[in-house]
Amino acid sequence: MTNFYKKHIAIVWIAIVSLMSISCSDDENSVVTEASFVVAFESLSSNLGTINTSQEIAFVYSQTATESGNVTLLVETVNATYGEDFTTNPPLEGVNITVPILQGANGSSFTFNKVNQNLDETVEISFNIVSVSYPNSQIQGNTTHTLNSEASLGRGFEPEVGGPNQPNQVYIDLSTEEQTQVKRDTWDLGFYGGDDFRVGINGSIYMAAAEIDNTNIDAVTEADVASIQDQVAVGTFDPTNEVYIDNPDGDITKTAIASISANDADNNVYLINQGFEVGSETPAPGSVAVAGDARGWKKIRVLRQENGYLLQYADLNQSSHQEVVISKDSAFNFTFFSFNTNTTLPVEPQAENWDINFTVFTNILEGAGSYGFSDGVLHNRKGGVEIYTVNTDAIAYDNFNENSIVETNFVLDQRVIGSSWREVINDDKVLIDTIYYIIRDPNNNIYKLKFTALLNDSGDRGFPEFKYNLVR
Amino acid sequence: MRHFLFFIGLLNSVIFYGQIEQNNDSISREKLNEIVVTGQLNPQSVSKSVVEVKVITRKDIERQAGNTLADVLNTTLNLNITPNTTTGKSGVSLFGLDSQYIKVLIDNIPIINEEGVGNNTDLTLINLDDIERIEIVEGAMGVQYGSNAISGIINIITKKSSRNDWDITAYLQEETIGSEYEWFDKGRHIQSLRLGHNFSERLYANATYTRNDFAGFFNTKKGENYAQNDGLRGHEWLPKLQQNTKALLSYKVEGFNVFYRFDYLNEHIERYNETVDINENPATGTTNPSALDEIYINNRFYHHLNSTGKLLQKIDYNISLSYQEQNKDLERYTYRIRNQEKENVEEGEYQSRSAVFSRGTFSNIINTNKTNLQLGYEITAEKGSGSSLAIVIGPESEEVTQELNSYDFFASSEIQLTDRFSLRPGFRASINNIFETQYIGSLSAKQSLGEDWELRAILGSANRTPSYDELYTFFVDVNHDVQGNPTLNPEKGVSAFLHIKKRSELANGEVRLKNKLSFNYLGLKDRIELIVINQSPLAFQYKNIDNFKAAGIFSENEIFYGNFKGQIGASFQGISKVLDSRTQSNDDFLFNLQLNANLAYTLPKWDSTFSVFFKHIGEQQQFVEKKNEQGAQEFTAGTTDAYSWMDATVNKSFFEGSFVTTLGCRNVFDVTQVNTTAFEGGTHNGPPAQIPLGYGRSYFLKLTYNLKI
Repeated sequence: MTNFYKKHIAIVWIAIVSLMSISCSDDENSVVTEASFVVAFESLSSNLGTINTSQEIAFVYSQTATESGNVTLLVETVNATYGEDFTTNPPLEGVNITVPILQGANGSSFTFNKVNQNLDETVEISFNIVSVSYPNSQIQGNTTHTLNSEASLGRGFEPEVGGPNQPNQVYIDLSTEEQTQVKRDTWDLGFYGGDDFRVGINGSIYMAAAEIDNTNIDAVTEADVASIQDQVAVGTFDPTNEVYIDNPDGDITKTAIASISANDADNNVYLINQGFEVGSETPAPGSVAVAGDARGWKKIRVLRQENGYLLQYADLNQSSHQEVVISKDSAFNFTFFSFNTNTTLPVEPQAENWDINFTVFTNILEGAGSYGFSDGVLHNRKGGVEIYTVNTDAIAYDNFNENSIVETNFVLDQRVIGSSWREVINDDKVLIDTIYYIIRDPNNNIYKLKFTALLNDSGDRGFPEFKYNLVR
Repeated sequence: MRHFLFFIGLLNSVIFYGQIEQNNDSISREKLNEIVVTGQLNPQSVSKSVVEVKVITRKDIERQAGNTLADVLNTTLNLNITPNTTTGKSGVSLFGLDSQYIKVLIDNIPIINEEGVGNNTDLTLINLDDIERIEIVEGAMGVQYGSNAISGIINIITKKSSRNDWDITAYLQEETIGSEYEWFDKGRHIQSLRLGHNFSERLYANATYTRNDFAGFFNTKKGENYAQNDGLRGHEWLPKLQQNTKALLSYKVEGFNVFYRFDYLNEHIERYNETVDINENPATGTTNPSALDEIYINNRFYHHLNSTGKLLQKIDYNISLSYQEQNKDLERYTYRIRNQEKENVEEGEYQSRSAVFSRGTFSNIINTNKTNLQLGYEITAEKGSGSSLAIVIGPESEEVTQELNSYDFFASSEIQLTDRFSLRPGFRASINNIFETQYIGSLSAKQSLGEDWELRAILGSANRTPSYDELYTFFVDVNHDVQGNPTLNPEKGVSAFLHIKKRSELANGEVRLKNKLSFNYLGLKDRIELIVINQSPLAFQYKNIDNFKAAGIFSENEIFYGNFKGQIGASFQGISKVLDSRTQSNDDFLFNLQLNANLAYTLPKWDSTFSVFFKHIGEQQQFVEKKNEQGAQEFTAGTTDAYSWMDATVNKSFFEGSFVTTLGCRNVFDVTQVNTTAFEGGTHNGPPAQIPLGYGRSYFLKLTYNLKI
């Protein structure tokens, strides 16, 4: 063979190998199963007592419907008759209602009309999904919706925390599915409505309070407090700064401001660091910007007045002060007051009407003092709520039932949920999906609750989601 | 793996076929005395050079089938390669100083990357396909090469000529990643084509295209389309695809040479988040798993125009003008794993840097038998920016940008005091727009002791420019106060080396030896550290505060005997850190032993070379602050375990070298990670207990076709 010929054999050989590389298609990808189409009720139950004349009962689709279809519901009643006590739209045909699946939509609803306004506690009306006409559909999830007078059976929930600035405190009542939002920086002080005479500061904006050895509010000036101002703050990494905040466990006897004494001479002036406004910057995806501009300083003194409080407050260098009388309201944990508006204002729902509160909060890091936490969830300790944590390794969420409840596990400390449901130290902000919580509400309903999202689809913080179900 | 065996089978048939027709051209003997340019006034031989230059030749690179700089440096004495599995980069450290302190040059000019000009180089971005040799100088080379050349420099010299009319080289390289290999989705796949042509005696051009597809190291991980949230999604080492296009045009006449070299690199690094958001829909009981994925896209452009020649029939000039830029962009998106769809795609700049660089040297300005004076200038106009995704800056700031313009002048002269003793003082002044004018100097001396003994003493200095993180970090919120410091000064480094070299021949020249014993000292002042500037409230800031010392002894020895070539080295280095940034510290020297051996044996009859590349890195220690059993903070020496690295290859050529195959095994000892207690935990998390070093024993096969006309 000539050298020339041999060279060409080599070239051809290389060409073959190259072609083989190119012609081989993509290696086997992991098999991805196509998801089936599911229509389910958005929530498991509605309370008949809270329906005035009618209510939309909503369906959720597992994915956007690409064509039209139908859901057929079986209607079952106890002590109620269609036409006399209630009607629906679309109307009942035989024992069924047929509700269309809307092309291009992610959900739909039908209307429940309450005809008889005097339905009693024995009435129960339930709608069961019995068939779905849609390609590749499957019946699962919330297949039944029950109307009765009982506590909510549970649902998925998206508290309106408001994104990475986490502007809102969101109070949630699980049994009524109600949420109440309040912007964090609209209030400053909470005056306890229970037996004690206590004043709390707003930990959601990182306020701090220090006792001044003086009972004359008008005599205290900035010069008197300048030496401690650096320390009266959250996040100074000084373990002794814990005295300047309300104990994060929620124990009303451990507030930064001492119990208000009946003896006026015992009630000292307090230096108040008003913390920070809600942040307005847009942080990098996954991060938070909860603290904006500093809100400055105030001095206050609180006295008892009748069965309530007398608040004296002023800016640091003012030689006169304002006075406000704040009476106790035992239906609420606190009566809230704002320096900016010089008025009391509604913040928390009544003590029996909320269970958990989504909020930024001031916590204590062991050895490092006070530390600001985002994504916090505090429970209504003062209203009688107790919670404990269950690991999914011990019992799966779906398997947790009435028999699984361990009464002695319930914990008072309002930080049981706290920030334990997420991990945000690393760049990847992670939802911890191996734990869930058992909650006993003020009416002795027991719920299980599990978080389902920390971030939204774009990876932004402040869009939590959870689900909960009635256990007992 | 199945495919790989098939591939080897195919090759075997070719080898057998090839063995029928042998040609007896033995691989030419490697020259004992290479010409080097690094740090020289004029290109000259290694033995005449006053500075001590180590050379990795083209042949060494071929034997190791090195595609990037990271492939070949890991068995070089004193150099440690440190891969970063989360960024996909590979850095290099020398004498205990990381890649911020070592400068990588191509043809004497620094190569840009998104974090530096010359320093902070990602070795995996330096392709070796058109290079002739690598020159390495240990010690501070600030006078010749400017800032950041503290621990040493790596100068990559490209090919600029050919004796042939046409050169065509094409190769395919298939590599396993540990035991992982598939045609596309696993393993490493490299294809390259190079053309060179002499248009005339004066005009030469070449062009190279290389595609390097590293499919990532999966290990226990399951890649992009894995939909469980159990930490197994993604890769252990990030997959990346590099495409590199280079071209060179060279024109030569008597006394005047000019070349233009172009290099374009495109790199995609895919980072699939291990966290899967299951997106449970509690109502329907369905899930729609998604993940927040990132793709980093690097584009590097390099232009280099160089002219060398003679002015006034006396002065040798060498002028380079270069424009380079590297832009790293980030694409972030939500990946719907089931539908394999991208949503919420956001694209933006991550980090970028561009520089206009010019360097000129004028040698023989005074040139008598005894003295030679070189004058030089270096101008760098550098502009860099980092977005808030790359650098921790205040939320209002979209990005930080900085321009660093420096105008450097240097002079270096070689004085031949006696026949045997020459001295080389050097000086550089660096004027720039941010820092005060920096002055640095160097002094080298070379003494020949008899025929075969050489003694070199080299004093050098260089400074390190503060990084963006050090200058501009801004992380201030309720709980934190960590700030960069725009008033930082460059760190100042000095080095002193003493090299004793002996050449000898034994058995009538059958055995030739080169033995070298070196003593080194490297000191660093004003080292930048993040320190506590206020206890309560706690606040941190970067300051020029610490000191660093490395001192040691090392020996490198070469033996040539017939068709055997061996290089054996040992290094014993001590490092001491004076940490004024800490309340507690310990500046005792901590020692580390390194051994290396590169052996090659050529069988001319078979046209084959068998090579082994070995390196042992002994236990390494570092002082770390830890809580002891009583709960008190104390400063103790943490230890990183010893490990050894070995590559073994067989190189065989067919048809007068027109077809070359290289078959080899990298990481023979199957090293993946070493245990360490030499790290401190962060504020929020514990220290890592392992350092990833490699992805385990892997095999490669390289088929090269050379056509020379």
